[in-house]
Amino acid sequence: MTGGHPITAAALANCLGTDSRTVFARAFAGADAFSAASAYHELPFATMLGIMPRCEIDVVDCVATRLATVALASVRQLRPAVRAAVDRWGARRIAYVFASSTGGLEETERALAPDPRLPLSSAGYRYTDHGIDATSAAIARSLGIGGVCMAISTACSSSFHALASAIRLIDRGLADAAVVGSADSLCRTTIFGFHSLGLASPTATRPFARDRCGITLGEGSAYVVIERDAEATRRVALARIAGIGAASDAFHHTSPHPDGLGGQLCMRQAIDRAGITPNDIDCVSAHGTGTRLNDAAEAAAVRHVFERRVPMTATKSLTGHTLGSAGLTALILAVESLRRQEIPATLRLEPADDSLGVAMVDKLTPRRMQRILVNAFGFGGSNVSVVVSQPGPGPS
Amino acid sequence: MTSATAVGSIQILGAAFFSTHHASALDVLAGRGRPFTPPSYRLLVGRARRFTSLVTQMHIEVCGALLPGAADPPMAVFATCQGEIQTAEKLIADLRDSSMVSSARFALSVHNTPSGLYSVATGSTAPTTTVTGANAIAAGWLEASLTALDAGRTVLLSIADEPVPAVFRGPEEPVGVAAAFLLGASPAGGRAQLAVTPCSEDAELDAVEVLARAAEAWRHNEPATVALGRIQPGTMLELRVAAQEARA
Repeated sequence: MTGGHPITAAALANCLGTDSRTVFARAFAGADAFSAASAYHELPFATMLGIMPRCEIDVVDCVATRLATVALASVRQLRPAVRAAVDRWGARRIAYVFASSTGGLEETERALAPDPRLPLSSAGYRYTDHGIDATSAAIARSLGIGGVCMAISTACSSSFHALASAIRLIDRGLADAAVVGSADSLCRTTIFGFHSLGLASPTATRPFARDRCGITLGEGSAYVVIERDAEATRRVALARIAGIGAASDAFHHTSPHPDGLGGQLCMRQAIDRAGITPNDIDCVSAHGTGTRLNDAAEAAAVRHVFERRVPMTATKSLTGHTLGSAGLTALILAVESLRRQEIPATLRLEPADDSLGVAMVDKLTPRRMQRILVNAFGFGGSNVSVVVSQPGPGPS
Repeated sequence: MTSATAVGSIQILGAAFFSTHHASALDVLAGRGRPFTPPSYRLLVGRARRFTSLVTQMHIEVCGALLPGAADPPMAVFATCQGEIQTAEKLIADLRDSSMVSSARFALSVHNTPSGLYSVATGSTAPTTTVTGANAIAAGWLEASLTALDAGRTVLLSIADEPVPAVFRGPEEPVGVAAAFLLGASPAGGRAQLAVTPCSEDAELDAVEVLARAAEAWRHNEPATVALGRIQPGTMLELRVAAQEARA
């Protein structure tokens, strides 16, 4: 990556709300949006979930799945910005890169596991509903874009790998802009799976708290439009992707390296690629899942990279863990943080785990900020960090 | 991109091929089959082999075949159309039948299971990513090539898919297939090129044949063009290998 890329539009939807304005208002107010498992997700164990509220969405083409509904809650907010990008570059110069961890798994569950608690029959099931890219072609068409279309799935780092792919497409001249999106909907396989691993918290997640005991799963979508750096895109930029770094733990498929080795490497790389030093980072938006091992490993990585106690927040305490959408969700909240010059609170932090040696923010905190580093780590030891900065003057 | 557009020059430094029903890529192209033969996936040892799916085993098989040709375990791009689809079917069946899922099986159900096990097995902290979806072969080639060009480093591209369980009512392809390619950034005028060309909307490719053709294109000292798949509406990604590449 040779320079920053303007983010010219961003949208998200999750348990906090079905439009960005509501999500931001509730996130920065510290709203608690988790609920007990719904009737649909009726479970034989206690856990909380971050379920996206109902919203009326015009489904596109024949895509009428939960994944599509969750994705379209964000996509519909982007239409004016995508139209402007089409005017700037032409429809075939705008790529669509989509990321998800579970894709259409819920549709397959409904089709293959007849169960009176499940509301839909399998009659309308199509094999293509299962794929990570189940919604891609229809959404790209609905946005009026016809550039390179691809899908990425690397568990909870998916959306940041998608962002890196989109930037490569722009840097190598295959696109002038990209709609980068991610969505994951809740499904029983995921909920039971995290429970089987002992990672699903019975109560609302408490990242970096002393008595944290796991993840609160959430559903949501997050989309950004990134464009080639140009006068026209600088004028409308919300923020800038200043640097991306990626690395593997090479330790264990589901457990993090105790020192957060991959996290250290990718944070350093993102900072280097942004052409700055760790001292130039004003805040870290942690991956912060709320599990004992993940938070300890991430804290170790942050301690290794930063010589000072950089302010850190964990937005999964607000949104839940939106899996493949986690990275972009945190990134868009970071963009809003830069706009507001406020760091959102990490909910339920007290009593904090002081042994971790990191400076968690436990209440809405005003702060002058130029750059935020956002982490997304996942199964497979897959780690990606992104430095997002004020839109400012771009590189020449 | 209404006419052919070059994406970039790359070097193909090595290729490996595996099929559950063919002894070689050449046998695929010659129409010679064999009974189902599982991969040996020796790169994984001990507990790491447990619960692995066929698609993971095939990825590991072809990656393992190419690693001796790489100085260090390189950055890697994995590509798969369906991912861990057999594991997904087992998880859903477990959930239906017993309201429980196996933690080990769930942990290995993500699309990047092969890349995670690859990095653990090789001890490589180099980044990996996983491209998926109907156009994963073409998108994987694109991602790997752009990564090699962007980083100026060798990139391992591994592509694999296992048969789709019948309950999905999907493609009835019984063959598991994988291929891996070691790609290097090439100075201008390199011997392999990716090019984007117009294609008809109904252009369909057979994944087993595409991978066999790509692997054979590297082996033979003859010019070859391999259609890799659609990369955007009405557009095909092609691999064009010049004769000299075979001796690189």
